[in-house]
Amino acid sequence: MAHRKKNRNVGIVGVGQTKYSSHREDVNQPEMIHEAVSLALENAGIGLNDIDCIVHGNMELFEMVFQPDLWHVIGTGAYGKSQYRITTGGTVGATIACAADNLVASGMYDIVMAIGFEKLQEGHTTGGITNMADPLWFRHLQTGALTGTKAYDMIREFGEERANRAAMMYRIIMDKHAGLNPNAHRSFGLEFDQMGDLIKNSPKLVGDLKLIDMCSQSDGACAVIFMSEEKAKQLSMKPVWIRDHVTVHREEIFHLFGYDEKYPITMTHTLAAERLFKRNGIAKPLEYFDVFEMYDPASWWAVDWIRDFFLLKGDEHLRLVENKDIMIDGKMPINPSGGVIGSNPIGATALVRVAEAAMQIRGDAGKHQIPRPVNHALASGFGGTMWTVLMMLEKELNW
Amino acid sequence: MKQEFDKTDCFTMNGKLALPYTYFAGRVGSTFITTIRDQKKIMGVRCDKCSKVFIPPRQTCEKCFSDIRENWVDLQNTGVVTNFTVVRYDGKHLPRKAPFVLALVKLDGADTPFVHILEGIEPEKVEVGMRVEAVFAKETTNTILDIDHFAPVKERVQVIERPTSPEKPGKAALSKDEMERLERRKAMSNKVIITAALSGAATMKNQNPNVPYTPQDFAEEAAKCFKAGAAMVHVHAREDGGMATHEHARIKTTHDAIKDKTPELIVNLSSAVGMGKTAEQRISQIVHVKPEMASLNTNTMNFSIVERKSGKIFLDYVFENTFTMLQDFGKAMEENGVKPEIECYDMGGLDNTLIIMNQGFFTTPMNFNFVWGVAGGQAFRPDAFIAMKNALPPHANFTTCGVGTDEFPCITLSCMLGGHMRVGLEDNIRTPKGDLAKGSFELVEWAVRIAEIFGRVPATPDEAREIMGLRKR
Repeated sequence: MAHRKKNRNVGIVGVGQTKYSSHREDVNQPEMIHEAVSLALENAGIGLNDIDCIVHGNMELFEMVFQPDLWHVIGTGAYGKSQYRITTGGTVGATIACAADNLVASGMYDIVMAIGFEKLQEGHTTGGITNMADPLWFRHLQTGALTGTKAYDMIREFGEERANRAAMMYRIIMDKHAGLNPNAHRSFGLEFDQMGDLIKNSPKLVGDLKLIDMCSQSDGACAVIFMSEEKAKQLSMKPVWIRDHVTVHREEIFHLFGYDEKYPITMTHTLAAERLFKRNGIAKPLEYFDVFEMYDPASWWAVDWIRDFFLLKGDEHLRLVENKDIMIDGKMPINPSGGVIGSNPIGATALVRVAEAAMQIRGDAGKHQIPRPVNHALASGFGGTMWTVLMMLEKELNW
Repeated sequence: MKQEFDKTDCFTMNGKLALPYTYFAGRVGSTFITTIRDQKKIMGVRCDKCSKVFIPPRQTCEKCFSDIRENWVDLQNTGVVTNFTVVRYDGKHLPRKAPFVLALVKLDGADTPFVHILEGIEPEKVEVGMRVEAVFAKETTNTILDIDHFAPVKERVQVIERPTSPEKPGKAALSKDEMERLERRKAMSNKVIITAALSGAATMKNQNPNVPYTPQDFAEEAAKCFKAGAAMVHVHAREDGGMATHEHARIKTTHDAIKDKTPELIVNLSSAVGMGKTAEQRISQIVHVKPEMASLNTNTMNFSIVERKSGKIFLDYVFENTFTMLQDFGKAMEENGVKPEIECYDMGGLDNTLIIMNQGFFTTPMNFNFVWGVAGGQAFRPDAFIAMKNALPPHANFTTCGVGTDEFPCITLSCMLGGHMRVGLEDNIRTPKGDLAKGSFELVEWAVRIAEIFGRVPATPDEAREIMGLRKR
C-alpha cells in the first residue's frame, strides 16, 4: 500500500514474545503460540474477545505440518474468528505485519493480531529450503540457507583482513546485544579481543561463512496486536504508529548469487529502501531513524546490507560497524535485541523485528532499551532468495 | 474441448521429498500418549468454565482460552460412535487394507469425539450410536495406534446378583446373537460336558502308572477319554521325567499331539502349571499356545499335601493368585480368544471373581469350576455347592471336580443340579470301587454312567463349545 493511500491510521498496541531457545519439548506448537498470544493480550490490556481477526504465519515445511493454522486455533484463539495463513519464507513475520496493517487500514477489522512462530527443532530447515529451488537446474546443488557469496564479495571489495574484521565486529556486537535481551536464544559473552581467534578458529560452513557468523535455529513465537486509530482513541491507548511499509521481491537465484559488474541489478533491499524513503520524503535515513531492527541472517550479509538499506556509498557501512556506531548506545543502533543471529524462530523472526522496533519507541524494552529517545524506527524482513519487507514505525502521528 | 498438447521433447523429472522431523508433544500430549502406552488408559482434560471434557487433551480451552492443563480426567475405554466413514481405497499412508472403517468415537466421560479405526464388524453393519470399546495394541509403536482399534462392545451382564424379576432374567444386557445362543443352550440342557483332567501337576506314575508324561501318552489317553464320552481334556504338560513344565515348546507339543490325534477335542490348559512357577511362566504359555480354554485361578490359598487323618503336614505351599493375577490372566486369555475356566476353591474365590468381573472383560457365558477337597480349599459339602451355584452370575455355566473321594459325590450333585462334570487322574486315581483307574478314561466311563442315571447325555465337543461359548481352533 503506497504511502498516504491508507484509509485510516494503524498502530501497534501489544507485543508478546516467548523466550527463544533451541528446544521446547515441554510444549507443542499451539501451546507455545498460546504463550506469546497471552502475553500480547496482557501487554495490550485487552481480551481475546476484542480481537477481530488473526493472521497466522510460519513455514509449514519446517515443522512438516500442513495447514498448521487449523490445529493451532487452540493456541492462537482463532476459534470462530476470521483467520488468514501466510507463508512467504523468512519474510513471513514481516508479511503478516503488513497484512495486519492492511486489514486494519482497510477498515475491515479494528483489531488484528499477527502471530508468527516456528519450532525449527522439529523439522529440517535446510532440507525444506532446498525445495524452494528449481528442480531442473538448482535443487540438486543447493546449500540451503547457507551462502558464502557475500563474504566473497566483501573480501574482494575491501580486502580479507578488513572484511573479516568488520563481519566479526558486527557478530560480537550482536552477541553483546543479545546478552541484554532476556528472550534471546544465544549469547556467548563474546568480547572484542576474541576477534582474531574467532576469525581463525570458527569452522567454515560455505566459503568464508563461518559457524559463528550464522544465525541460530530457534523455537519460539511472537504475537503483535494492530489497532485502528479510532479504536485506540476509544480505548484511550497510545499505539506505536505504522507509517508505511513496502514489500519487494524479484526472480530468484541470479539476483542473489549471479549478479556482477557486467549485469548490474538493483538489489531488492536497495530498491525497497529507495521507494520507501522517497515517498516518505526521507533524504537522510541514517540521520532520520533512531533504531533499525534488521533481519540479519549472518554477519556478512548484515554488514553488506547496512549499505543497501541506508543507501550508503563506498565503505560507509564498514565504518559504522568499525566505529561501533551500530551499538545500542551508538549513533545508529542496529538490533539492540541481538537480532536474528541471536534468535531465529523463522516464522516469528521478521515479526520480532517489528515488535522490537515498537518496544524501542514505547521505551519499554527493558535492559536492551536504547538510552535515548526513540521516535522513528525501521524494521526489515528478508526471505526467499531475495524478498524484502521494510516497515517504518513512528512515535507521533505528525508526519 | 480437445486437450491435446504436443509432448515431444518435453523433459520430466521425478523426485522425492523425504524430510525428517521430530514432534515435541508437549507435557499435556506426552501424558496422554504415555498413559495409553503404559497404562492402557485414555485421559482427557476438563474445562470447568465451559463444562467440557476434551480428548485429545489440550493445554487451553479453545473457547474460553483458560489454562486447563492440570484438569486431567480418566475416560472410559468404551464409547459411542458419533459418525463414521468407510475407507474404500488402498494407500501406503493408510493404517489398514481397504475396506476399513474410520469412526468418530465419543468416549464415555468425554464431550468431544475422537477418530480411530473400528474393527470387528462389517462396514455395512456400522451404525451411529453403536457402543464400541478400545482394543489396545499388544506391542507399542509409541503412536496413537497403541490403541490398536475400537471394536463393538461385547454386551455384558451388568448385575451380579441373581435376577429377581421373573420377566427380565438379566436379558436386557444381552445382544440378539447371545439371546439366540441362550435359546440353543436351553435346548441342550440335558447335555453334560465331561472333562478329563489327564495329569495335573502332582499325580505321578508311582501313584498310578497310567498318568501320561510324554506328548504321545497324552494323545493316546485323550483319545481314549474322548471315546469314553469326554468333550474336553484338561492338561498340565509334563517333562519325560514327570515334572510339570512351563516350557512353551513342550506344552505346545503336548497340546498339538492331542489335537492331531483327536481334532474334535477341546484342550483346556492349566494356567497354574505346577508349584513354584512365576506369574509370567504361568500365563505366557497360554498366550503362546492359545488353547480354546484355560484354567483361571481365583484366590491365593494354601495348596498343600497333608495327611488328613493325622493332620500331619507333608508339604506346605502357598498357591498365589492375587487380584492382579486374576485380572491380568483373565484379560490375557480373553484378549487371545482363550476362554477362562474359572476355578473356585471356595466361596471367596467366587466372590473375588464377582468383583473383578465388574471390569467387564469377561465374555459371556462365564464358565466356573467348583473344586473340592484341596488341602487349603474347602471340602465337598452339598450345601456349600448349592450356595456357590446360587451365587453365580446370570448365564454362567458350572462344572465341578473333587480331590480323591470327593470326586464322585461332587460330580453327581453337579449332574443333578444341571451342571457339568470333571474327572481324571489329576484329581483322583481310583474308581468308585477303590481300584487304581486304568486311566482317566475309566473315570470318564463312570461319569457317563452317573449322567445316564439322571437322564443326561454327554455333550459332544461342538455342543460343549456352544454351551461354553468357545471358539473352535
